[in-house]
Formats: sequence, structure tokens, C-alpha cells
Amino acid sequence: MKTNVWGVGLVWIVALALAWEWGAQLLAVGFHDPMAASKLPYLHSVVSTMFNNADSLFEAASVTFTQATIGFALGAAIGYVLAVLMSVSRTIERIAFPYLIISQMIPVLGLAPIIFNLVRDMNASRILIAAYITFFPVAANTLGGFRSVDREKRQLLDSYAAGLPTVYAKLMIPFSVPHLFAGLKIAAPLSVTASILVDMLGSKNGIGVKLLYALYGGNMDIFWASVVTSALMGVLSFLIVLVAEKILVPWQDTANQGGAR
Amino acid sequence: MTEKLKNILWPLGFGVAFLAVWQLGWFHALLNLAPFQLPVPSEIVDTLVAKFPKAMNDCGVTVSGALVGMILGSAIGFVVAVVATMFPKWGYGGLIVISALNAIPIVALSPIMNRWFATGMEQKIGVVTVVTMAAMAINAYRGLNDLRPFSLDLMKSYAAKGPTVFFHLRLPNALPGVFTALKINITTAMIAAIVSEYFAASTSGLGFGIKDNLRKAEMASGWAYITIASVAGVFLFLVIAFIERRVLKWHASQNPEVVEKRRPVKVG
Repeated sequence: MKTNVWGVGLVWIVALALAWEWGAQLLAVGFHDPMAASKLPYLHSVVSTMFNNADSLFEAASVTFTQATIGFALGAAIGYVLAVLMSVSRTIERIAFPYLIISQMIPVLGLAPIIFNLVRDMNASRILIAAYITFFPVAANTLGGFRSVDREKRQLLDSYAAGLPTVYAKLMIPFSVPHLFAGLKIAAPLSVTASILVDMLGSKNGIGVKLLYALYGGNMDIFWASVVTSALMGVLSFLIVLVAEKILVPWQDTANQGGAR
Repeated sequence: MTEKLKNILWPLGFGVAFLAVWQLGWFHALLNLAPFQLPVPSEIVDTLVAKFPKAMNDCGVTVSGALVGMILGSAIGFVVAVVATMFPKWGYGGLIVISALNAIPIVALSPIMNRWFATGMEQKIGVVTVVTMAAMAINAYRGLNDLRPFSLDLMKSYAAKGPTVFFHLRLPNALPGVFTALKINITTAMIAAIVSEYFAASTSGLGFGIKDNLRKAEMASGWAYITIASVAGVFLFLVIAFIERRVLKWHASQNPEVVEKRRPVKVG
């Protein structure tokens, strides 16, 4: 079954690649669209551009990706700590929970230009915005995990007169890890997006800058290569979290809950 | 009752204290900021009142683009889920490929859509459509296929035809998932619409307003626009939650008591 799913996925990817090639040909040869090369260039020419510029693309991507990762780790840590505090203290939960809920309804990425304007440092704002955007899904999902701990298990530990640290070390934290990963999976591509957005708002390096310069300079090959690179960065961030989950939480069936957002 | 009161007073008190600290300039002192860099709340409110008609106009542009795109994207996502249900072997793999769309950064999509479409509105709708497809496809597919045990067997024993199974079993079962997807999508749609306006050729919309005001160093206007965007996001979310309550009245997920009772009791 597992290999079957991978096989089917592979067939789909090949089919989509062929559809892209065919679509590009249709646009260029069929419709004689003068903008064909910028609207949808041939996939093979995008791939060859990516190989020819692999060094510079990789350098730009790694700047963006590194900042996104730092921000992601920071936001996840703060989000997890807040979730622990909220599960320990009813008062903290009362204060923070409504804001956690509301924050999921507001367009947080809209804040990026304002933070960038406020901080005026591209690395710091990349990290800050990536952390900020990671924080909410991680905190909300982890808290959901703490809340869904079986009451009987908690009562059993209480009846052993286990202290709070023991309860958390033995029960709450292990139980919350799958929920933490559900939040991390939502947050990982978002943190990459946030980092690229800061690039495009006026940084000096990074994949977003490359993308924007190519766009304004009319260099459509590099533009498309940058777009595909940033898409791959998003997919890569998701896959890294998925692999980490497989290693840390091998008992969890990940196939059934990925990509909820 | 007191419990309920505490649930309101604590967060409210915190919010008021936060705004007061901001207003009194303690954040400025702490973070070493000048007043023109970070406007205080009263200034933001004044700006909001002064620019209200224009801001509402911009808000309408963004919200209409977000809504049209969300409806298009969700409809496509739902059709994908239905097709994937009809052809389970190939459909599920296709669904996984679709879910990879989730990982494509919005910021990379909007310049592409700029190439494809002439106007800012079309471009915005294009971006929102693409980013809202995956969540609907995945959630609807789950609802169409995670049926209660034996219900499909029961339908088969009645010799029910495919369409009957679809409309009487799968579709009602998928409704909660559809609403979950709509709630995810409305936030995504607002974010995508605003972010795509940062890079579009358009001269209206909340995203354009934020960017333009920041360029002109009118920080208070930028914050006023962000406030409106947030209020609009919360409002749209609540509208969908309200419709969900009306449509899913019959469903157990809307009734906390039933959920509590239906929780499986673990033995041993």
C-alpha cells in the first residue's frame, strides 16, 4: 500500500510535468502569445536555468531559509512554553486564550511591512516575523494536545501524589508531541513564506530579492527559477518537519493528518 | 456566572493594560523607539476616523477579491475531492500532489499571477483561488471517505446506486469538513489578497494602502489599515462560523453534551 501511494504520486508528478511542457508549447506555438516565455516558460528551460545558476540560487535560498529556520525554532519554543503555562495556570489561559483564537482569524502576514519598517534590520525582521507566524499555530495546537489528555491518566498520576514536574515529564509532554507536530506542520511553510516576504519588502539578499530583481530586470528565466526554488523551499520545510515527526513520534500515523492548513 | 465573568474580565483587563502601556509610551522607552516610528493607539484611532471612508473602500476591494477567490478555490477543491472519491486509486495520489500547493509561498505566486492577468483584481482572485484549493480538497475528501463503520455496507445491502450513496451518505458526512476548510480558507484568503496587493499593479485595496502609507512614512495610517484588515478578518470568520451553526444544527459537533457522551469509554 505504501509503495503504491508513492508510485501513484510519482505518476502524478510526471503527468503534471508533461502538462506543464504541453501548456507552455500551446501558449508559445499554439496561441503565438508574445509573452509566453514570461507567462509559462518550458519546464525544461526553467530546470536548466536552475542548474546553471545553482550556486547563486542556493546561496540566496540558504540566507532566506536559515533566517526562517531560526525564527521558526524561536516561535515554536515560545509557543510551546506559552501552551505549557496556559495548561498549568487557569489565569494565564483565561488571559491568553481569546487572543490566541482571534489571532488565528486575522491576516498576520499583513503586519510584515509594519514590523520591517519598525525594526529596519532585514535579518532581525525575517526572524521576528517567522517567529511570530509560527507562534500561534504551535501554541494553539499544543494547548489542544494538553487539553485532550485522558482524564483517567491524569487522575492516576494524581492519586500517586505525583508532583507537577513528574506529571508533565511522564504524561503531558509526551502526549502533546503529536499535537505539537500538527502545529509545526502548519507553521513551517508559513515561516518560509514570511521570510521570503521580508526579502521582497526591501532586503539586500535572499531568494525574494533575487526574484524581485529578475522580475523588474525582465530576466524571466531567473524569475521562474527563483519562483520554483521558493516553492521547493516551502515543500522542503514541510518535509523536514514530517521526517522529524517520523523519527520522534514513530507511533503516529502521519499520513492521515498532514497539511490541515 | 462568576466563572463566565472571569473569562471575560481577565483578557479584557490584559488588553486594556496593554493598550495603556502602549499609549503611555513605555514600549517606546523599552525598545528605544521614537514616537513617529510606532504611533500610539489614540493616534491610530484618530487616523482611522479621519480616513474611514477611503479605508472602507479599500477594504471592500480586498474583501471582494478574497471572497470571489475563496469561492472559486473552494469549489475547485471540492470537485477535486469528489473526483478523487470516485477514482480512489489514482485520486488519493493526486490529492497528495494538490496538497503540495499548500507549501508554495503566496509571495511567489503573486508575481506569476501578475504576468497572467492584467488587472489587480483578477490577479488577486487568481492568487486566492490557488491557495484555497488544497485545504478544501483535503478536508472534503476526508469527510467524503471517513464514513461511519458499516454505513457503506448498509447502503450496499439496500442496493443503493452510486448517486444515492453520494447524496445521502457521503455529502452529509462531508459537511463538517467543508466548513472546517471554509474557516481555514477565509483567513488564508484575506492574507493572500493583502499580500498579493503588496506586489500588484493595483492602486486600491488594504495591502496597497498599507504599503503606500508606509512608503510615505505615515505609520499611523498603516496601523489603521492593519486594524481594519484584522476586524474584517474576524468578521468574515464569524460569519462563516454563524452559517456553520445554522447549517450543521443536526450535527453532533455543534452540541458539546453529545460530544461528551459519545466519547468512547476505554476499558482495561
